[in-house]
Amino acid sequence: MAHISIKDVHKNYGAVQVLKPFSLDVEDGEFLVLVGPSGCGKSTMLKILAGLEPASGGDIFIGDRNVTDLAPGDRDIAMVFQNYALYPHLTVAQNIGFGLKMRGMSAAEIDTRVQAAAKTLGVETYLERKPKDLSGGQRQRVALGRAIVREPQAFLMDEPLSNLDAKLRVHMRAEIGELHKRVGVTTVYVTHDQVEAMTMADRVVIMRGGEIQQIAAPDVLFQKPDNLFVAGFIGSPGMNMLRARAESGTVNLLGLKVPLSASVADGTELIVGLRPEHIKAGPGPVEFTIKPHLVESLGSEKYLYFDGHGQIYARAGDDEENSKGLIARVSHSGPIAEGEELTLSFDPADLYFFDAQSELAVRA
Amino acid sequence: MKRTTLQNVTLYGTVTVVVALILFPVYWLLVTALSTSAELSSLPPIFWPENPRFETFSEVWAARPIPTWLLNSTLAAIGSVTLSMAISILAGYALSRFSVRGAHSMGIFILTAKMLPATLLVIPLFAIFRQVGLIGSLWSLVIAHSTLIIPFTTWMLKGYFDTIPRELEQAAMVDGCSPLGAMFRVVLPISTPGLAATALYAFVLSWADYAYARTFLVNAPDSWTANLGITTMRGEYTTDWNEVAAAAVFVAAPIMLIYIFLERYLVGGLTAGAEK
Ligand SMILES: Nc1ncnc2c1ncn2[C@@H]1O[C@H](COP(=O)(O)OP(=O)(O)OP(=O)(O)O)[C@@H](O)[C@H]1O
Ligand SMILES: [Mg+2]
Repeated sequence: MAHISIKDVHKNYGAVQVLKPFSLDVEDGEFLVLVGPSGCGKSTMLKILAGLEPASGGDIFIGDRNVTDLAPGDRDIAMVFQNYALYPHLTVAQNIGFGLKMRGMSAAEIDTRVQAAAKTLGVETYLERKPKDLSGGQRQRVALGRAIVREPQAFLMDEPLSNLDAKLRVHMRAEIGELHKRVGVTTVYVTHDQVEAMTMADRVVIMRGGEIQQIAAPDVLFQKPDNLFVAGFIGSPGMNMLRARAESGTVNLLGLKVPLSASVADGTELIVGLRPEHIKAGPGPVEFTIKPHLVESLGSEKYLYFDGHGQIYARAGDDEENSKGLIARVSHSGPIAEGEELTLSFDPADLYFFDAQSELAVRA
Repeated sequence: MKRTTLQNVTLYGTVTVVVALILFPVYWLLVTALSTSAELSSLPPIFWPENPRFETFSEVWAARPIPTWLLNSTLAAIGSVTLSMAISILAGYALSRFSVRGAHSMGIFILTAKMLPATLLVIPLFAIFRQVGLIGSLWSLVIAHSTLIIPFTTWMLKGYFDTIPRELEQAAMVDGCSPLGAMFRVVLPISTPGLAATALYAFVLSWADYAYARTFLVNAPDSWTANLGITTMRGEYTTDWNEVAAAAVFVAAPIMLIYIFLERYLVGGLTAGAEK
């Protein structure tokens, strides 16, 4: 187990900089998740950590060793790949033991360790099978077995669950979390799934276009996003965003004057964020009436889509979730009909404010 | 999906015609070998001799140094296959994996080399081999055949390696292999079907050669390959075609046997990458 330190690592492919200078400290035993949209450089960062891809500059330390120029096999890390990358010509036992064999361990010791790892992951009954005779979940376990059997300083995982069906993914997510608790190895985990990030991570690194947007614990990301991108990325359905202008301590939202809890100069253009789940059906501190043009019922809760008084702010390149209107996610309401007038409310303390120019959060 | 009767008839009809076309020369070779000279010159032709004459095989085997010819063909083919595979495995792997500047044009350059006909290359090769004293030696064939084979096999293997996910080598490297170690311990074992198909292809190319053998070895009867040897069975005035055919059966048999034994691998090698 070890602490990982990344100092000013960057990566260029020709003239394109896919990773901007990147610094990050992963604590001993921490479960760190890198999350971000496709193409933001998550896999690149992980491959640089593993030594499979050279960095264009910067240093990497694992434990106290500077591993920047070490070969992957000399870094004492284990990696789990998205497509598992099991060796198709070897049995499960040989797959798990391959790394030990490469390190010159005796056959007897390899066998003991493979048995132990197989037991941990519940794959001991098919040790003699070839990977092609395993199900997706079993392959995933073997890939994990290959990682834990080496007892490395760190685990690197690149979207290890994305090839599994939804149900199995939830199950394996819990299993990986449990495994991490048990073996306690420092883990860097890449995903583009925010639910995985939020549920598994000690800390989450949100990336976009090769740049770190925010590093924080899941709850902090949700409650205190540093910028508009993080605010929009975390949460489902995504945060409602409205254009507004600061006017003597208030903003005009949906035709209402709402107190502005952040200190900004009059006339500043703002983006105001309001999470769908912070909108309640019925009376509250700030009330407004709407006629939902679409009601989606998910059983225990309903998504109401309504008109945004022309204030809706859609970020270029983001998914079109907000294009159907503003969203309220209400639970325990009676029946709600489309087009029927209805009172909703929110607490101004739940609003998020961002500078429209810099897209950074403005707080009190 | 269920096929209709009409589709079935068309399918099996086409297959039958194609197989018949392919097998006819084989059949004709056997008929010729089993007939007597008199039967061969009769008109209309006889499609199956009344008394198949198997003695021709043993007579030819005794009269001509067929074992030596076969041995020479085998040695030349094994040498060419070994040399070509050693080079084209490394070259094909490099072309598949490393994006070095100029790798693409280098690949195309190798391809153009395979467009040159053997007849164009044979004279300069002859000049070179005479200078280094290889004329009359089987080594001349090993080298000459390799120049023909390597462009093909390099591209065949590059295509095969392209279908193997890089993550396998990356996993092997994380597990402690060097890049070359990952190739030998992971990539090559998985590539057995592709390697077998490629090696067999190389073997056949070498086995089938006549032009090079004739040019480099004609004055060295001890080094004659099977194809060269058979052509010397043509007499100045008459040719015993039944004897030539019997000898040709001996020459074709090894290739057929190899195909039968390797078929399992070949099918896998030819359809590699077809399924994801
Ligand atoms: N060999 C390469 N040459 C040029 N550009 C590359 C190369 N490999 C990756 N890139 C680029 O680097 C960027 C980051 O790629 P990377 O694979 O790290 O993304 P990612 O965050 O893992 O995305 P995903 O979620 O889709 O896996 C992408 O824009 C990609 O096009
Ligand atoms: Mg990726």
